[in-house]
Amino acid sequence: MTVEDWLAALAAELHRRRIDPAEVVAEAAAHLRDSGRPPMEVFGPPTAYAVTVVDSIRGTAPPRDRGAPRLQASNISKRYGRTTVLTGVNLSVHAGEAVAVIGGNGSGKSTFLRICAGLDSPDEGQVRLRGTIGYCPQDGGTAGFLTPDEHFVLVGAGRGIRRTASIAQGRTAAAALDWPRGHAAKPARHLSGGTRQKLNLVLAGLGDPDVLLLDEPYQGFDNGSYLDFWQQVWQWRDAGKAIVVVTHRLAELDRADTVLDLSPRNQR
Amino acid sequence: MNRILVVAEMALREIVRRRGVLLLLVLLPLLFYYSRRDEAYWQSVRMVTLGIGFTLSTAALFAGMGARTMDPRLRLSGYSASQLYLGRLVALWAVGCTVCVPFFLLIRLDIDHVRYEAVVLLMALTVAVSAPLGLAVSALLPRELEGMLVLLSVVCLQILLNPDKTVAHVLPFWFSREIGTYAIEHDAGTGYVTRGCLHAAITFAVLLILVGGLSSIRLRRRAHLSTA
Repeated sequence: MTVEDWLAALAAELHRRRIDPAEVVAEAAAHLRDSGRPPMEVFGPPTAYAVTVVDSIRGTAPPRDRGAPRLQASNISKRYGRTTVLTGVNLSVHAGEAVAVIGGNGSGKSTFLRICAGLDSPDEGQVRLRGTIGYCPQDGGTAGFLTPDEHFVLVGAGRGIRRTASIAQGRTAAAALDWPRGHAAKPARHLSGGTRQKLNLVLAGLGDPDVLLLDEPYQGFDNGSYLDFWQQVWQWRDAGKAIVVVTHRLAELDRADTVLDLSPRNQR
Repeated sequence: MNRILVVAEMALREIVRRRGVLLLLVLLPLLFYYSRRDEAYWQSVRMVTLGIGFTLSTAALFAGMGARTMDPRLRLSGYSASQLYLGRLVALWAVGCTVCVPFFLLIRLDIDHVRYEAVVLLMALTVAVSAPLGLAVSALLPRELEGMLVLLSVVCLQILLNPDKTVAHVLPFWFSREIGTYAIEHDAGTGYVTRGCLHAAITFAVLLILVGGLSSIRLRRRAHLSTA
């Protein structure tokens, strides 16, 4: 690994942890220049050094042992024809951790999530998953001619939940998202876009999956529902779920524990 | 088994709520039937089954296309690819059998001197083949319009092509000519039934393998993903 590569990797790791990398990277670069020694020898791997820096800045205790990550994506690369959308992307998400995946349009956020879910294949890289998975796609994912209750039964049966329990679980989760009254018996195609998206989100969490992959799940939500959504994410996090939320709203970054920026300049 | 039945139940609910599809399921075979009723009534038997075949395979096409966005979620929820397509097939077969009942009664009351048991066999085989035909087309083609045109072409060719030509044998409803001939011509031997059943069985098997293979490929577990 060259000095430049190591510094770029450090910058990406710091950025991911919501630390402005400029000053730290400049200091590290000066130290390396003065010492003339390779960065791996001086600082060790960039990820480990970034953790040390973040801990020293925030004054936190060393992280407790959280066990193996629930979701571990390693060196994910993906091309569509001649267009490269993902280059060497890494992500680890532990139980009780919420990660925001950000990036501009076409930066590969949804593709990355589909690769993590096993719905698309990368050109390179591996994903290791520990536990069951709940996936909320950006669009689709519901059947227009089925009612919400029927959706709960259908998805619940896949997870081995009985019919009545599925409906009860689904309705409880829907109520937490300020679900409009009287919509349980309407086919999904007659629901508003926001309500349909709430259904989509409820289906992702049905059956208590260990890993939740949510692709811009709040589209069409009003402000109250949007806040309810983040409350739901935090409840899942507190319950020990590993959550990945794709978003393009930068104001949300302080709501997540970790940020993965898929903008091309931040991919290695 | 429970998962297959739940998928079948939901697919059935979806089809029943598509009022336009239900109307066409009844109306189109009826039009096919009466198109030949006056001048060649014996052909009405074959035409009505082709009508059922076309509408049921079209319903299957729409069911298959409609499931495309839902299937990945269901796969991640614990369903296998085979549970998904078998559940949908069960629903389509149930719809097809239900649609056949009034048409069989129509033939029973409207046309004399027909081997009615052969008509039942013909309808049953048509229903059996139509459902996987529509699902196979939905898996092979990207949009509903293309699928509709393919199914329309198949039925048109089935009507227009000389059934003795070799190329006609590869069409999915060729068996309807054979069994239909046995149903309406009393001097026709059981060889027609044997050939028709053999053709239907091979067609059914090929379509089922195609649907199963394509579904398994589309919803396969990707090699890059490992679970602990």
